[in-house]
Amino acid sequence: MGEELLKVDGLKVRFKTDDGYITTVNGVSFSVKKGETLAIVGESGSGKSVTSLALMGILPPNGEVVDGDVTYKDKDLRTLSKKDYRKIRGNDISMIFQEPMTALNPVFTIGFQLREPLMLHEGLSKKEAQARGVEMLRNVGISDAEKVMGRFPHQLSGGMRQRVMIAMALSCNPELLIADEPTTALDVTIQAQILTLLRNLKESSNTSIMIITHDLGVVAELADRVIVMYAGEVVEVATVHELFESPQHPYTKGLLDSMPKIHDVVNELYSIEGTVPNPAEMPQGCKFHPRCPFGDEECVQTHPNLLNVKGDHAARCIKLAKKELVV
Amino acid sequence: MTISAEREVIVEVRNLKKHFEMSNGFLKKTKTTVRAVDGLNFKVYEGETLGIVGESGCGKSTTGQLLLGLMEATEGEIYFRSTDLASMNKEALRKARKDLQVIFQDPYSSLNPRMTVGELIGEPLVVHGIMRGKALRERVIELMQLVGLREHQYDRFPHEFSGGQRQRIGIARALALNPKVIVCDEAVSALDVSIQAQILNLLNRLQKELDLTYVFIAHGLPAVRHISDRIGVMYLGKMVELAGRDELFNNPLHPYSHALLDAVPIPDPKFRKEHELIEGEIPSPSNPPSGCRFHPRCPYATAKCREEEPEYREVLPDHFIACHHPLLDEDTSIVPATH
Repeated sequence: MGEELLKVDGLKVRFKTDDGYITTVNGVSFSVKKGETLAIVGESGSGKSVTSLALMGILPPNGEVVDGDVTYKDKDLRTLSKKDYRKIRGNDISMIFQEPMTALNPVFTIGFQLREPLMLHEGLSKKEAQARGVEMLRNVGISDAEKVMGRFPHQLSGGMRQRVMIAMALSCNPELLIADEPTTALDVTIQAQILTLLRNLKESSNTSIMIITHDLGVVAELADRVIVMYAGEVVEVATVHELFESPQHPYTKGLLDSMPKIHDVVNELYSIEGTVPNPAEMPQGCKFHPRCPFGDEECVQTHPNLLNVKGDHAARCIKLAKKELVV
Repeated sequence: MTISAEREVIVEVRNLKKHFEMSNGFLKKTKTTVRAVDGLNFKVYEGETLGIVGESGCGKSTTGQLLLGLMEATEGEIYFRSTDLASMNKEALRKARKDLQVIFQDPYSSLNPRMTVGELIGEPLVVHGIMRGKALRERVIELMQLVGLREHQYDRFPHEFSGGQRQRIGIARALALNPKVIVCDEAVSALDVSIQAQILNLLNRLQKELDLTYVFIAHGLPAVRHISDRIGVMYLGKMVELAGRDELFNNPLHPYSHALLDAVPIPDPKFRKEHELIEGEIPSPSNPPSGCRFHPRCPYATAKCREEEPEYREVLPDHFIACHHPLLDEDTSIVPATH
């Protein structure tokens, strides 16, 4: 680990709506290192999914990146032509989504959809591609791979479809896999299978994984490092152990405390007051202050910067700088 | 709340079945039967929360709908305070339904978008002809305050609220008729973690204040463990295990329950571990396996499991299970010992 594969610096994304522009990602910076699994955690409206779509250059038509740099191995992705971007998307960076049904084409067989990128990106013949396709399905734990190659997406179960998606995403040996809520729609026993698959993948091929999720359980299982997002900003960055052991930002701490624990039952859960702010009516200063137990006048006035706590552990809270916060 | 034999049974389900007939194939000539719920027996005690968990297709939501009388059972009986719901005449059923209310997963699709919050919460009272005018408005405001909504939101529409607030509207509406039992069907599953905690706390508080009984149906195990007193695990239309909450988590006896609990990711990287994966997928309920329905995926399956359906029985006090080879003598705890 060490070499930075993907570097995002000051990413800002806005959407055009009937009521004018709203900014949903506001100055997000992070990097994904070679061979590491980075988790981006946040609740709905935190901007975590929009961040990943912006990286891949697949924002919906009303969205645009207005500022920031996205560098992949010294290549500036933002200045890339559509054609060159597509090359990177197939060969170097792949993506899997929450609901594989919407990402698979319903009118083509699994085999057709698996062979296509191999023939396109790697120049294989149809026969070679078929053999590779079967092998890839086996690698993701599908035993009757030949049979599945002839099936249509609707004939497969949700877990099976997600496996096919992963096989497809891995077909051109990407260096970076972006997984947006890959197990959210799956049953828990199937989720365990997919998480194990992703973990093995990382060990066997040293693929970097960027996983976007709201589930802190999934984060704890899979991630090396974690980024916590709130209202379009990174509020905390830390290694997975640091984050769970000594969370620094009040939001992170609140999030961890409000989870029902399967091994430690409490009578009353901690809960963060209020709701995630609407991007059209962002609070002044620190965006978390209206819900923060430590929020005061200063938090309303000052927008805090990310502040290093210890090593690579950083959090966005002014109370940390003044050592007023004992978390 | 502890499990005790003296507590009063408020709902009892005996041999409950719900089969759906489906037509498939060319000219819809192939008839198949989906056995969504296939022989359930359980009791719900007054004042408790019975959690029902299971994966897709296990029949947990169908069970909830049957309890509410939203669909008719194919076979079996549901007793509410020792009277069979099916034997009730219309008037008695109408009364019983006041006592049995529901909270759905997605309050947005269950709330009429053209009605204001006040109208939505008051509707059950109007439909049952209980209140009108000023008294109605007062009662609605009382309900709103009970669930943490404010009076000035009375004339707002559901789309103006966030998911958590909408769930509060759904809860207020369910409480309007002073029910005894509330079926919570995936009531917190669609909510963000921080909002889920608010709603779980609210449900707990309301249960104490209003003496409610909950049947809490969900697939999210941490939430179910948090709120339930007893938990039943369903698989393909059958109850495979039912026990007190801690008993189930510390000592799961059915191989499926064990695998299900083991698969839940623990939100603490210290406990990162290899999961004991169960193989394969959940079979279709239209063509369930013979014998024990879990046998094709079960690591302990024998010939007996393939042929003979295991009886649902009480193996330990208040611990029910349907399995030929329960994990009785092993250390089955899925919960890390030290924390």
